[in-house]
Amino acid sequence: MANSALETTISKILEQTEKSVISNVESALNESLKTLDDSVPKLEQEYDKILADGKKEADKIEKQIMGSADIEARNKQLMALEDAVDKVFSKALDQIANADRSGDYSNLIKTMIEEATQILGTSEISVSTNAKDKDVVQSTLSQFSGAELSSDTIDCLGGVVVKSKDGAMTFDNTIDARIERLKPLIRKEIASKFGVGE
Amino acid sequence: MTAEGGVQYSKIAEIKGPLVIVDDVENAAFDELVEVETKDGERRLGKVLEVGNGKAIVQVFEGTTGLSIAATNAKFVGKVMEMPVSREVLGRVFDGLGRPKDGLPDPIADKFIDINGEPMNPEQREYPKDFIQTGVSVIDGMITLVRGQKLPIFSGSGMSHNLLAAQIARQASVIGTQDDFAVVFAAIGVQYSEAEYFRRSLEESGALKRSVLFLNTADDPAIERIITPRVALTVAEYLAFELGMHVLVILTDMTNYAEALREISAAREEVPGRKGYPGYLYTDLSTIYERAGKLNGKKGSVTQVPILSMPSDDITHPIPDLTGYITEGQIVLGRDLFRQGVYPPVNILMSLSRLMKDGIGEGSTRADHGEISNQVYDAYSRAQEVRALAGIVGKAGLTEIDLKYMDVGDVFENEFLSQATDENRTIEETLGILWKIVSKLPKNEITKIKDKYVEQYYKEE
Repeated sequence: MANSALETTISKILEQTEKSVISNVESALNESLKTLDDSVPKLEQEYDKILADGKKEADKIEKQIMGSADIEARNKQLMALEDAVDKVFSKALDQIANADRSGDYSNLIKTMIEEATQILGTSEISVSTNAKDKDVVQSTLSQFSGAELSSDTIDCLGGVVVKSKDGAMTFDNTIDARIERLKPLIRKEIASKFGVGE
Repeated sequence: MTAEGGVQYSKIAEIKGPLVIVDDVENAAFDELVEVETKDGERRLGKVLEVGNGKAIVQVFEGTTGLSIAATNAKFVGKVMEMPVSREVLGRVFDGLGRPKDGLPDPIADKFIDINGEPMNPEQREYPKDFIQTGVSVIDGMITLVRGQKLPIFSGSGMSHNLLAAQIARQASVIGTQDDFAVVFAAIGVQYSEAEYFRRSLEESGALKRSVLFLNTADDPAIERIITPRVALTVAEYLAFELGMHVLVILTDMTNYAEALREISAAREEVPGRKGYPGYLYTDLSTIYERAGKLNGKKGSVTQVPILSMPSDDITHPIPDLTGYITEGQIVLGRDLFRQGVYPPVNILMSLSRLMKDGIGEGSTRADHGEISNQVYDAYSRAQEVRALAGIVGKAGLTEIDLKYMDVGDVFENEFLSQATDENRTIEETLGILWKIVSKLPKNEITKIKDKYVEQYYKEE
C-alpha cells in the first residue's frame, strides 16, 4: 500500500516535472524562434550593408587601378611625344645653323637690327653676332649710322644682340632668342602633326 | 603692355626685400612679366608692380637672395604672366608658378591665358544651385556645397584641415549628371610632407587623373605664393568655361598667401592696415575669391573651397574676417572637437552655407533634407546648452528630455560628425544618420519637420 502511494507520488512528480520541462522547452523554443524572426530583418540589413560596403570597396579599388593605369599610359605617351618633338626641333636647328648665309639672309639681319634699334629707341648701338655672321652683319651696319660691330663674338645660331652704347639696354634678336620666344607655339605646331592638341 | 618686349635693362637702382627697382626704363607696363638674370645666368621670374619716372618696381617671385645691383639684368618680356592650358594639364603636378613638378615635359598648350583672369560679368553670372557631394557627412548634410559657390574652411594651426582638404579632393563628385568633374588643388606654403601627402593621396585613390595640383611648399620663396592661387584659378576657368567641366578649386592655406602679400606691402613701404596687412587686402582677396561661379550659356562651373588657418584661432583676424565678407558662408573647424579626437572637427553652430537652401531638396538631394538638417542643428544647439547645464548641476539634476538631448549630442559627434578619412558617404547614408539622431528624440520634440517625412523616416528607439 505504502509502496503504491509512493509510486503514485513519484509518477505525479515525474509527470509534473516532465510537463514543466516540456513547457520550458516549448517557451524557450518559441522565444528563440521569435528572436530568430526578429533578427532576420537585422541580419538582412547587416547583409545588405556588408554587400554595399564590399561594392564600395571594390569600386574604390577599381578607380585606383584604372586611375593609375590611365596616368601611367598618359605619361608614357607624353614622354614619347616630347621625344619626337625634340627630334624635330634639333633637326630644324641643325638646318638653320647650316643655312646658306647669302641671298636673303642679309635682309633678315637688316630687319633684325632695325627691329632692335626701334625697340631700344636709339641708333647709338653696339651689335654682337657669331663668327659665321660677322661679315654679313658688318656689311649691313654700313646702313646704320651710329652703329658699330662689337669685337666680341657670341655663341648663337645666327642673328644679332644689340646693345645701347651706354650699356644700359640690350635687345637679344638672335635666332635662338626668337625660337625661345616662340617655342611653346612651335611645340604645339609640331605636336599637332602627331595628332595631339588638334 | 609694351608694344615690343624683350629689352633687357642692366641699371638696377635698388634691391629691397622681394623687390628690384630698375632704372632708366621706358615702355614697361603694369603687371608685365620680367625675367631677372643673376650674375650666374640663373633666370628668375617677376612682374612689374609700378612704373613711372623712368623707374620700374619689379616683384621677383623666386626671391632676391643672391642678387646684386652690379650684376643683375632685368628683361621686360612684353607680356603678362600666362599659364599654358589644355586638357593635358589634368593629372599633372606643377609648382607654385605653374611649371611642371612631376618630371614630365611642359603640357602642349591649347591656349596661353593671362593668370589674372578676366572678371566675370555680373550680369552673366548664373545663380548656383546644383549640389556637390563631398562624401563628408557634415558638409553634405548640414553645410552643403553648391556648384559655383565659394565656401571657405576656417581652421587653426595644427588642425586637420589638410586631411579634410585631401578627402574632399578625392571624393568630391557631382551626382545626377554625366558632366565631367575636375579638382584643381593649390597648396600654398605648405610643408613638404603635406605636399607629398596631397600628391600621394590623389595618386593612390586614382583621383589624380581628374585633378591638377599646384604645390608651393614652405621652403619655396614666399612671393611665389602670390601667383599660386592665380595660376590654379586660370586652369580652373579654362577647364570650366572652355571645356565645360565642373571644377572644384581647393586653395590651402590662404593665410600664407596673405602673409606674402604683407611682405610685399612692407617692402613697398605702404601704410599698413590691421595687423600690418595692406589696406587693400580685401580687394586683393576678392580678385581671387570672385573667380568662382557659373556663367549663363556656359556648361561648367568653378567652385572654390579656400582654406585658411586663423592665427590664434581668432575668427576676427583680418584674413578670416575679410574672407567672410566675400564668400558665401564658412565651415569652421573647432579646437574643442579637434582635441576630443573628432574628425572632421567641424563646429556646425558657427558654420553656414548661404547657398545650401538652393542646392538641396527634391530633385537635388532629397525632399526632407532641409528640414532634417534644421532639426538636427536645433537639437545639437540644445544639446550644447544641456551639456553646459550639466556642468553646473550635474547629470542628476537634468530632466529626462535633457538627457535625451545629451544623447543626441553624443550620437551627433560620434556617428555623424566623426568619419574615417577614407570614408565616402553617399547623401542617402548621410540623411539616414541624421534621421537616426532625430529618432533619439520623442516625436513631440520634432517641430521643424513635416509630419509626412516623420511618418516616413522616423524610427523610434
